Amino acid sequence: MAITRDDFPLPDVHDPLTAPFFAAAARDALEIPRCTACGTYVWYPAPTCPECGSGEIEWVAVSGRATLFTWVIVQRAFLPAFESMVPFVTALVALDEDPAVRLCTYLVDVADPAVLTANAPVHVEFRDLTFATVPGRSVRVPMFAVGAAS
Amino acid sequence: MTTAADWGHAAELDDVNGEVAIVGIGETDYTKASGRTAAQIGAEAAERAIADAGLEPRDVDGLTFSGAFADFGVAEFHAHFGTDHDMWSSPWGGGMAWAGTAPYLAAGAIARGEARHVLNVFPVAWATQRSSMTGGPGEVHAQQSLKQNLEVPFGFFPQPVYFASIMRRHMLEFGTTREQFGAVAITLREHANRTPSAVFRDKTLSLEQYLGAPMLADPLCLYDSCPISDGGAAYVTTSLERARDLARVPAVVRGVGEGYSGSGGHWAQQRAFTSTPQVFSTPGAFAMAGITNDDVDVLTCYDPFTIVSLMQVEDMGFCAKGESGPFAESGALRFDSGRLPYNTHGGLLSHAYVLGIAHVIECVKQLRGVAGAQVPECEVAVYGGYTGHMASTLVLTRS
Ligand SMILES: [Zn+2]
Repeated sequence: MAITRDDFPLPDVHDPLTAPFFAAAARDALEIPRCTACGTYVWYPAPTCPECGSGEIEWVAVSGRATLFTWVIVQRAFLPAFESMVPFVTALVALDEDPAVRLCTYLVDVADPAVLTANAPVHVEFRDLTFATVPGRSVRVPMFAVGAAS
Repeated sequence: MTTAADWGHAAELDDVNGEVAIVGIGETDYTKASGRTAAQIGAEAAERAIADAGLEPRDVDGLTFSGAFADFGVAEFHAHFGTDHDMWSSPWGGGMAWAGTAPYLAAGAIARGEARHVLNVFPVAWATQRSSMTGGPGEVHAQQSLKQNLEVPFGFFPQPVYFASIMRRHMLEFGTTREQFGAVAITLREHANRTPSAVFRDKTLSLEQYLGAPMLADPLCLYDSCPISDGGAAYVTTSLERARDLARVPAVVRGVGEGYSGSGGHWAQQRAFTSTPQVFSTPGAFAMAGITNDDVDVLTCYDPFTIVSLMQVEDMGFCAKGESGPFAESGALRFDSGRLPYNTHGGLLSHAYVLGIAHVIECVKQLRGVAGAQVPECEVAVYGGYTGHMASTLVLTRS
């Protein structure tokens, strides 16, 4: 069964599990769900806390400071939407608040990927995500740049 | 600090050591796009496995297959062979990790008297299907909503990117080099060159070619990644007692293990990022079989990417965590190394991407002494299956 959503691969900002993430990004805020009972960040978002089973989960703001856990320089366009973007750097960044929370993100403003280093400090930069294959549409998302927050 | 208990667990399995054996194997040709359907491929593999066991189709009264890719089930079996007898069946067989646990299911059915001869079959026609963009490894993933919203929009997709990210982290944590990943690819290609059924039997690979190959998702290059293939295989399991009456040297099931990680199929969130659930699967299988790592004559592991080979070799205890790069570079994985002959048919990387079923067949061939890159006096062969959140371990011995 193929994906029929006409704005793919933009995120579906109406999906209830992840809608608050994109609603926060639209305000240039980075928010992550956290269990109000035990304080665990619940990532990826889930209806109940994997630690204590509580269903009381609220989205809370985090600093946007993180470290570079790993990265990939994507050179083959694995989707038509990526064809006009390659090469680009996709990365996993570990949040300072809890390094077990890893965000998939774009690493932006990378002049030379050869100088990237493990666990380097990175900070959030909100950008409008667009794809040439989805003309006229965009979604504001958190991307990350190397260096401490400006 | 993440401890083992934090990120996964082993399944509790009954002791089936010595209860059943694999007595028949069948393979189709392994090819690029063949124009055939998976059901046709599955039927041919089944036919050959049943014939190899010296049985008739009506003798096969149990069937395990992949519920996720249900191309050859009971209905297809009967349609192909013109039979209509009752069959015990389970959709928890087929390939990937389940290629290693299907004999355990067969042992259960046989012990309960629900079946005598159980066929496990797994065909795939992704090379053919890819031209029409239906099916295939990436599309299945793109349909999951968390990946669709939190991974794909950020370019973290599909499998080559997931495993490139793990490869990078392995390099950062342990100093693993491209030359060491290259050693895996080259060793497996040399094994494929000795294996007549391998898709890459005629194509050699040098370190220069490896290092000069195009990057797909840096640090992962073309030769770190397996191609898509058409093909399939099947094997017949029966009781050890019954196996003694049949023609083939039985490959006796001595140990089975099954391990799980807690983060499901989300590689980005794997707690032990550079590990596989073999950490949980292998100890139980080896304990059931009463073997140690030193007893293993041949190891085959599900290897869609070079990094998955290195992680499993570590996680199964054949070298220390982080040491698999130098281990591979030393030549230890070669069929003639006398150390850890590994994916002696060429693996998913160079034999065929038929999702692990050919790995189990290769174990049986090694035990029978009929493999292309044959290991002398192979007595113990082990399959390590992997599907991301799940790993399996199957220990087979010659008699
Ligand atoms: Zn909680």
